[in-house]
Order: sequence, then structure tokens, then C-alpha cells
Amino acid sequence: MSSEPTEQKRRVETAGLIEYSAENLVPFGPIHPALKEPEYFKLILEGERIVEVIPRIGYVHRGLEKAAEARTWVQSMYMFERTCGICSFAHSLAFGQAVEGLTVYEVPRRARYIRLIIAEMERIHSHLLWVGLMGHWAGFETLFMWIWRDREVVLDLVEAICGNRIHKSMNTFVGVRRDMPENMEDRIVERMKFLADRARYYRSVIDTEETMLERTEGVAKLRPETVEKLSAVGPMIRCTGIQKDIRLNDPYAAYDEIPLDIITRKEGDVLSLLRLRLDEIVVSTNMITYAVKHLPDGPVRTKIPPVMPVGENSSHIEAPRGELFYYVKSTGGRTPDRVKARTPTLANLPTALEMLKGQTIADVPVVLTAIDPCFGCMDRMSFLETETNKQWTWSGEQLRQYGINYYFPERARK
Amino acid sequence: MSEDFIQQIQRLATEANAKLTAPHKHQIFVDVEQNKLRDFVSRLGNDAAIRHLSTISGLDLGQDIGIIYHFWRERDTVHVRTTVPKANPVAVSIVDIVPGAILYEMEVHDMFGVTFTGNPWIDKKLLLPDTWPQDLPPPLLKTSKPAEIRKRLQLEVEKE
Repeated sequence: MSSEPTEQKRRVETAGLIEYSAENLVPFGPIHPALKEPEYFKLILEGERIVEVIPRIGYVHRGLEKAAEARTWVQSMYMFERTCGICSFAHSLAFGQAVEGLTVYEVPRRARYIRLIIAEMERIHSHLLWVGLMGHWAGFETLFMWIWRDREVVLDLVEAICGNRIHKSMNTFVGVRRDMPENMEDRIVERMKFLADRARYYRSVIDTEETMLERTEGVAKLRPETVEKLSAVGPMIRCTGIQKDIRLNDPYAAYDEIPLDIITRKEGDVLSLLRLRLDEIVVSTNMITYAVKHLPDGPVRTKIPPVMPVGENSSHIEAPRGELFYYVKSTGGRTPDRVKARTPTLANLPTALEMLKGQTIADVPVVLTAIDPCFGCMDRMSFLETETNKQWTWSGEQLRQYGINYYFPERARK
Repeated sequence: MSEDFIQQIQRLATEANAKLTAPHKHQIFVDVEQNKLRDFVSRLGNDAAIRHLSTISGLDLGQDIGIIYHFWRERDTVHVRTTVPKANPVAVSIVDIVPGAILYEMEVHDMFGVTFTGNPWIDKKLLLPDTWPQDLPPPLLKTSKPAEIRKRLQLEVEKE
């Protein structure tokens, strides 16, 4: 118990909120080239507990908003589709709707149904991907393998309809570019039934499997006041019991014409997010089945001139991760004057920081994955312990293993 | 519902000396002066229950920089517009009224150089690299050229 002179402890620049010294600081992130979205978090610790988190993002900022000013409206649409490799359709839909609002044209009814079908398929594949990742980070590898196998089923359907698995390039202004292939109805209905059964099965696994319950139940509890205050979106807000979903509150595409079932849960912990997303998969399969059976006839697009009228408009949709927002401003030219995109991960980041406070290092991977970020960059994490002047770096795999050993010491790898 | 809603916003706008336009269905634009902004935003939250901030956009308007606060409730989106002069881009922060605004204000600071007084994290970078040269104009201003940015950032990398 030697009392080190405090002046030797290097004071680190803070946000002006609290003062902390270097021994409590854990830099977290930022990059791993194989993973989706690098972010960097400064975790400030008191022993094992996190007391403050400071984010730093922008490592993959590509300047798309600036790039749109040098591209035509149509080029911009397919560029913004490439913002995300998971919810690509959501991006082109939100941007498309914002631009369509500037014009006088109405989207044909059949096209609105097709948009709904693709958007819901995207939700299924995004949610499945996320549940699999949660299994991976919690140390339940079998769940990861099984779920990613089932995810192929929905991706194959997307490919059959759109021609592509990920960047579907299906949307265009005032409609969709391709009609539904003939004789798809039976196949879609059958696969949706399969996916719903699988989602129900995974739901029962998560409700009973000790590995998942131990890592997620009661972890990082959110309160309704917190999420409302921080303007959180999507499943993050619905897991606290607030019924807020743009499909319900501000319906777009064909959501006002089909039976909607918005899932909410009361608990607000990581487990409730898992249950909520698996239930949403079942609801999405029902919506797709209904939409395919009631698909109206008619054209799927209206041809419009490539120059948009002067004006400004915004659009938001319920992407798999929450509210995706686009604002566009036109000065009547061939190119946009300004496009602003706000993805759900940025909106949920302040809530994630709030969730991390009071958790242990072992919970960091699970809690950060819980917001379903386009994120996974656990490598390059370094630790510093000043009392012994010991410094070490952990890879993402080591951090994952630490979390598993923390909860299940009997399973520790030798 | 929607007509009542617009009238309610109209009343708040008149009190704040602001101009209201509704060019499209469910899209309401309100032009508020800087010194009335905080008052108007807190009235929106308290009187009209509009508390969900979707995001904050910056705009290059030539002499001025426009800042738009996009609020949403039910079917209606309320865009609260304000401007700050480009020569002195200082705006008031609404972080204490809408805590979710903290990262959006940092983003506008990075991309347009607007300083929000009252935001505790405003001197930190959120999106721009740490090596961003101080003398370059903020990237989303119309005067900023992507080729120039690329060249200067490359130089910074080589320096290291």
C-alpha cells in the first residue's frame, strides 16, 4: 500500500465533466478491417466498474453527403444505398421517399407493397445476424452457426426477387425497378413459415439456455425516461415499454394497409432486446405473408424527369435498427443542393454510453452489441494499470474470452 | 388532429416571433432567430410534447450557415430553422433541454465549424480525423474542395 505521489499520475484531458487519471482509462477500439464500423470508446473505470464513456467515431467517414452534391439525383440514390451493407434497402427507401415528396408523383400501390416486402425481409436478415452475433459475444457459438445458416434462407429469397443479396438496387424514384418474379408466392409463404418456426425455436432456446440468461438478464437496464430524454430509436426504445415505431406512428410504403403488430417489452435489459428482436422476426414473416397474398396488380413505377423541383423535404423510416432519417434540399438542378443522412446507430450511441455506465469490463462486448451497432471492432484494446505500471493489450478474441471466463469460470480454456 | 397541431405550433411560433411554412403534407418549417431558439425548443417540448430530436442538419447558405433541428411526433415532422453568420459561427446549445442533441451538435461543429456554447464536448472531434489541418475550411462548406482535402490529409499522413 505505497502512497504514490499524485503529481506523478498523469492527468488526462477530460470532457470537463469529471477529472480522471490515466490508471482508470481504458481505450476501447477503434479498428478491425474485417468488421463493419470502427468506433472508439474511452472507458473510465473505478475498479471493474465503468463510470464514464467518451465516444470517438468517424473512422470510416466517407463524405457521402459531400459526394452527393457532385452527383445527379439518381446516382445519389444508389450511392446512399451503399451507406450500409446490411440495411441498404432502407437507405435507398428513405432517400427516395424524401425526394419523391418534392415531386407531385404518387408511388404505385403495387410498388409500395413490394417495398414493404423487401424492407421486412431486410429486417429479418438484420435481426437474425444480430442475434447470431449476440450468441458469439456471449460465448454461445452454436447459436451463431445455426442462425447464420437460417439467414441464408431469407437472403436467397431477396436474391430471387432483386437479383442481389445485399445491395439490392431495387428502389428508384416513384417505384421499384423490378416486378416480383412470377410464381414466387408459394415459395415465399413456405420459407416465411420456416423462418417463423426457427425464430420461435430460438426464442425458446434463449428463454431456457443458461449461457444467454447469465450474460443478458438484468444487464444494462434501460429506463423509459432515459431513452426518451436521449431521443433513442428502434428496438432500444420499444424494449422499455414505449410503443414508438414509425411503421405505426407515421406509416409509409404499405404499412397503413396491412395488419401491424408492434412488439414492446417492459424490462429494458439486454435479454429483453433479444426477445423483442426474435418476436419482431415472427411479426415480419406474418407481414410478408399477408403482403404477398394481397399483392395488388398494376404498374411498379412511374417514369419521372431527372430534374427535381425546388424545395426541401425530409423522410424517416423504421430501419431494422430504428429511425433512419434523410433530409434533402433541391435548388431545381440536376444534383442535390444538400442531403443529410442520420443513421440509427448515431441516435442510439448516447443511450449505449448510458447503458455502459455501471457495467463491468466483461459486459462491454455484450452491451455494445446490444444496440445493434454497425460495430464489432474489439481488437486493439489496451489496458494500463498504473500502480504496478503494467500495460497490456488485448485482442477482441481475448476480451471475449475474458467475458466468458468471468461468468463461467468452470469453462475456462486451459 | 393535424390542423389543430399546426395551429398549436403556429401559436408557439407567433409568440417566438417566428415564421411558419408547411410546403408538404406533415412537414412544418419554422424559422426562429438565434436568441429565441432555446425558448422555442423548450416550449415545443413542454406545450406540444415534441421531444424526439431526429437530428441537426447544417446548411451552407452563402453568407450564413443554416442550422435545422428536425423534431418528430406522430405523423408530423417539425423543422426548426435558424441561422448564424459565417463570419462568426457561434450558436447556442440545446443539450440541457434535449440531451440527445450532444452528438448532433458535435457533428455540425465538425462539418460546418459552428461552435455551440454550452455543449460540454464541443471542443472534441467526433467525425474528422485528429490530423485535420486547422487552416482548411470545414468540409461541408461549398468552398471546401474534396481534392484539396485529400491532398492535405495525405501530407499529414506522410509527416507522421
